[in-house]
Amino acid sequence: MSDKKSPFFVGYLPIPARLRPFLISAALSVVAVFAVAGVMIGGTQDDPGPGAFRFDYGRQTVTGVVSLVPYPLVHVTQGNDRIKPGHTLMLTGQGKSSVVARATPLERQLATVSGVILQRGALDMLQVAGGRNGLQAAEGTAPEQVPEPLGRWRLAGEICDGKCLAGAMRPGRGLAHKACANLCLIGGIPPVFVSSQPVEGSEFLLVTGPDGTALPKSAYDFVAQYISVEGAVERHGDLLVFQIDPDTMEVLP
Amino acid sequence: MNTAEALFFAVRLWLSIGAFVAAVFLTVGIDRVDEDARGAYVFRPLLVPGILLIWPLVVWRWGVLEMGRDRWAARYAPPRATHMAAALLMAGAMVVAIWLGLSSRQDWPADIAPERLSAPEVSQ
Repeated sequence: MSDKKSPFFVGYLPIPARLRPFLISAALSVVAVFAVAGVMIGGTQDDPGPGAFRFDYGRQTVTGVVSLVPYPLVHVTQGNDRIKPGHTLMLTGQGKSSVVARATPLERQLATVSGVILQRGALDMLQVAGGRNGLQAAEGTAPEQVPEPLGRWRLAGEICDGKCLAGAMRPGRGLAHKACANLCLIGGIPPVFVSSQPVEGSEFLLVTGPDGTALPKSAYDFVAQYISVEGAVERHGDLLVFQIDPDTMEVLP
Repeated sequence: MNTAEALFFAVRLWLSIGAFVAAVFLTVGIDRVDEDARGAYVFRPLLVPGILLIWPLVVWRWGVLEMGRDRWAARYAPPRATHMAAALLMAGAMVVAIWLGLSSRQDWPADIAPERLSAPEVSQ
């Protein structure tokens, strides 16, 4: 039954001379195949982009007018070295949570907001610190914020959750990130539409449902895919808000 | 029930049955089919995670051993004839899966420009 001339590998004994070439070539081949496959598969992945939490900026505190579209924004009236007056910041809570409940009593009022900035190019967002110091009413009269309608548009691009896209995750967009994005959106994180080309000078638009409602659940299935969608665009401060019509969403080929 | 709820329900059901099988097998069954396990208890909790996942296999093997249909010698004769084909098929399937995944990826619609369908309504 057994062939006593055939070499037999035993882990704790010296390698039989006749098996050594095979063993060495097999081991080197495995390493080479995995290395090449790793490089090739890695090379197909998109650049995650430069987004990041800017802890290096330190804690940022600004004062501005709170508005809900229905996602919370602050139109900065008193900024600092990094965040200038006139800028509109999207607000988010810690993790996958929103600050809608904290911002609602302060709607259309002056408030001081404090937290950490997330930044990806022209897109930024403030992760509001916990507690009263994160978001509190400020003294003074709030200037009225009037959105500027920009008409109805058809855009191509991708719906992302704004926080991960701005730098909370790398990658913060694409199919690999879809489940995380939907959990963020369920948690109330402001959704952001990345347009294929700039719209009125902006590549990123805050996305809402029709007539300023929250992003409809029917849109969750389209998150992280490249789609075309129609809707009204408004300018709120220096931020564009895209009120999508969910019935017009189409996945692009 | 949406897709996510159905998936969670299926996983919960699978693990619940697995927990029941683990409880019965580790307290009653293992003593009946493995004489070396009799009187040994500390290792049994270590088997729980595995039984939660592959409880159908545990039930099947338990049944085979209980009914005396076990051909112990067969355990030392793995199906060598099909191993090579199965290994090649699995390796090929991995390559095909990666290729299908990459080939079905969308391309970023960089050439589709934003289109304004209508101007904003002017309020009087």
